[in-house]
Amino acid sequence: MSYSDTIPLHPSSQSDIDEIENLINSNPTSVLPARPPSPPRASIPISSTPPPPPAFIPSNLPPPAIHKPTPVPSVIPTVPAVAAPKPPLPPSHGSSSSGNIGVTGFGSAPNTLTEPVWDTVKRDLSRIVSNLKLVVFPNPYREDPGKALRDWDLWGPFFFIVFLGLTLSWSASVKKSEVFAVAFALLAAGAVILTLNVLLLGGHIIFFQSLSLLGYCLFPLDVGALICMLKDNVIIKLVVVAVTLAWSSWAAYPFMSTAVNPGRKALALYPVLLMYVSVGFLIIAID
Amino acid sequence: MDLNPPPGENYGHPRICLFHVLFKGAALAFYILSALFVNSFVIIFVVTVLLAALDFWVVKNVSGRILVGLRWWNEIDEDGESVWKFECLDQESMARINKKDSWLFWWTLYLTAVVWIFFAIFSLVRLQADYLLVVGVCLTLSIANIVGFTKCRKDAKKQLQAFATQTLATRFQSTIQSAFSVV
Repeated sequence: MSYSDTIPLHPSSQSDIDEIENLINSNPTSVLPARPPSPPRASIPISSTPPPPPAFIPSNLPPPAIHKPTPVPSVIPTVPAVAAPKPPLPPSHGSSSSGNIGVTGFGSAPNTLTEPVWDTVKRDLSRIVSNLKLVVFPNPYREDPGKALRDWDLWGPFFFIVFLGLTLSWSASVKKSEVFAVAFALLAAGAVILTLNVLLLGGHIIFFQSLSLLGYCLFPLDVGALICMLKDNVIIKLVVVAVTLAWSSWAAYPFMSTAVNPGRKALALYPVLLMYVSVGFLIIAID
Repeated sequence: MDLNPPPGENYGHPRICLFHVLFKGAALAFYILSALFVNSFVIIFVVTVLLAALDFWVVKNVSGRILVGLRWWNEIDEDGESVWKFECLDQESMARINKKDSWLFWWTLYLTAVVWIFFAIFSLVRLQADYLLVVGVCLTLSIANIVGFTKCRKDAKKQLQAFATQTLATRFQSTIQSAFSVV
């Protein structure tokens, strides 16, 4: 071995050699001879387990977003390539970065293939509930609103819009189908247009995040529509709709206002208010 | 892509394949048959869109991962920017993907989009705005999945090429190095 060649022989060379042998025997993985380690084999995360749980290679190489805790620890065993140079491929954190659950429109992918579907469903449901709590209910510990709905999802808004449409349709005595179709189209198109409005005003908001937000803010109006469906008194309807309208607008205000610069706040908020008022009128006027 | 499933092997994940096809088929079947049996547009709308949404979720989260080893999602990073992520399995696992599974996956994905487009044209011609709305929503969901997975697949191919060339380069390098160190 070339290693012994580089050590000059000394009267106490035997002890040196013993020392080296001890080192090698005690820690076989970290002591390496002069030949370079074999990088590619060592850095493939799955080469050491049979049958390997397939590892996902991320397409970009971003550092894993640390703010999301992974529910399941990484299953990829760390290869004993401790002394190897930085591997040319993405490191074996492929699983943990895929474990930082990306947010998607209709749910996220679990980070292991063996995660049962029921777990995914539960996780998505809990995300809907937490988004709802974050957006609609008063929360003194709320962090910067622009970042609050980072885990946007569209399931919540979908359910709320459909529920509102159904409630209005049930309340209507005639033309039920038209009422539903109009309510759905109005809310969906309204959310898209409001988002475009913010973007055109030079605001910084992600399209889907804003859609998600506007959908979640419909929750109070859903409650109001349900109450109005059950109680037919006009006075009660007016009061309930006014309260829920104020609640919806209050919920939407922080997100919309932080998205644009202060001079244009009113321009961004007024259409939102207008849409919720028109939905409120729909609720009152249906009989 | 050929019209017949690749011969020889069986489906690798028959239950997943079933679910992959189930919701798509149910949405289409309900849409077609409901016009005959159900009088209320609201029910047609809600059930069809719900089935389409469930299908979207299943394809994106379950069958995409398991049948073809691809995954895509959207993240919002610390700066508030939206980032689309595409992931694929590593090369060894990709080689082991069941051919029949992936054939079924891609064919049904494209086929349902084509059928929805056909229905969209149909309802456009008949000037039925409300049915057009239903078809529009279902079409959007199908196309979203198609775009996501196609991008994923292209990315995967690029990745594999880069991996292969890099592996060759580093092996070449290490061979040279070991050759020199022996000398």
